[in-house]
Formats: sequence, structure tokens, C-alpha cells
Amino acid sequence: MEPITSFFAVSVILLGIGIYGLTTKRNAIRILFSIELIYNAANLNIIAFARLSSPPLVTGQVLVLFTIALAAMEAAVGLAIVMLVSRLNVDIDLRKLTRLRG
Amino acid sequence: MTDLVFLSLATVTIASSILALEARDLVYGAAALGIAFLGMAGLFFYLDAAYIGAFQIAVYIGAVVVLILFTVMLVGPQLGEPPLELKRLSLLAAILVSLLLGTAGAVSSASAFPGPDNCGSGCDLIGLSNALINQYGVQLEFLSLVLAAAVIGALTLAKTDRKTE
Repeated sequence: MEPITSFFAVSVILLGIGIYGLTTKRNAIRILFSIELIYNAANLNIIAFARLSSPPLVTGQVLVLFTIALAAMEAAVGLAIVMLVSRLNVDIDLRKLTRLRG
Repeated sequence: MTDLVFLSLATVTIASSILALEARDLVYGAAALGIAFLGMAGLFFYLDAAYIGAFQIAVYIGAVVVLILFTVMLVGPQLGEPPLELKRLSLLAAILVSLLLGTAGAVSSASAFPGPDNCGSGCDLIGLSNALINQYGVQLEFLSLVLAAAVIGALTLAKTDRKTE
């Protein structure tokens, strides 16, 4: 079995990619991508901790199941907002998007 | 020390998640995101969390990526950047496909594929379902309520706009 630090390395790299996307991208769909990547990094971290502790914990897997469901829900609502905004005929550039305010 | 399976899974995941953010066309970005989710599911399988891996494939690739693709297609040309050139794309696809196939071959080779007998206690499906129903039953019900609320909310968001216009 791989040492636990390599899973952490993958997780940290994914988290870094996600934060990079969150801070530099302007397109709403790309920002959703970044959020999903960050969710995945957290999931990998939890699964690695749960598997490589002794004895292996099943609670981590339950937690990740809940996280995946919540991430899917968040993506559904986010994409609904994107479609709503795009139907208002505005750019989905989040930095300029103030149309839905108030 | 470093396992070849782990190394290729990590490479596929990280490379395609970078590509998901950096590909010019959003459709290719969504496809790369799907490959990244697939690599992550492979990592879950590698960590003996087979049920989580299957759940990841079903939810992320079956639902989220398809939803993103539909949204990109419906929102369509106003995202409008030209797609990647075909030559670079096919080279990239060749690399990715060969990496994926190599990973699949390495995973499914008999030594790396533990059957139910030598499966560690981490892939204890009975323990997982016991914990999910007995210990976390209330949370599971709340989760389904939240999911239903999210679906209703998304439908409302998509529908109210038509009336106001």
C-alpha cells in the first residue's frame, strides 16, 4: 500500500488547482468545475484517512457519501442559476454579474 | 515504494483536472473533468472503498458531467471560444486514452484486484451499510430531504424566469 503522504500530495495538488481556478477564472461554469475539484480533494483526504488508520474506519466512507450527494446538489442548483443568467442575455462572467442582485 | 497504479491514477487525475480548467472549449473542459472524476474513482477503488468509487462514477460522471454538458450546449455559443485544433487534441486524447487503458490493465491484473476473500476490512460493505442505516439513518433521511429541496429549487429557478419575461 502506498504511504498516506502520497494521497495527501494528490489531494493538496487538486486543492491548489481548484483554488487557482476559483481565483483566476471568470466563467461561472469553470468556477463550478473548481468547486467540484475542491470537493474531490476533500473526499480523497477523508477516504485516505479512513482507510489508512488502523483499524480502517467506515465512518469516513459514510461522510464521503454525504459529501458526494451534497456536491451533486450544489452543481444542480449552480447550473440552474447559470441557465437563468444566460437566459437574461448577460455574459456569465461572475465578476461583472450583478443582474440578479436584489 | 511508489506503486505504478497509484502513480498513473494520480497523473491522470491531476493532468485532466488542469485540462478541465485550461481547455479553451468548455465541452472539452467538461470531458476532461469527467476523466478527472474517473481517476478519482480509481483512487477510491485503490483505497478499498469500492462502494464509494461506484457511487462517484454514478453521481459525478452519470449526473454532474452530463448536467454540465447539457448546460454548456443549451447556453451555447455565447460562451463562444473556438475549439482546440484537432491535431493537438488528438495527441492529447491519445496520451490520455493510453494512460487510462494502462491503468485499467494494471488494476485488473489478478494480483492488484483483490477478490472478496482477501479484501481488507476497509471494503467491508456490510459494515458500511450497517453504519449507514443504523448509525446515520436520520442523517440519510435529512440528506434525501435536502436533495428534494434542491431539485425543487432548481426547477423553480429555471421556471420563474419564463413568466417574468
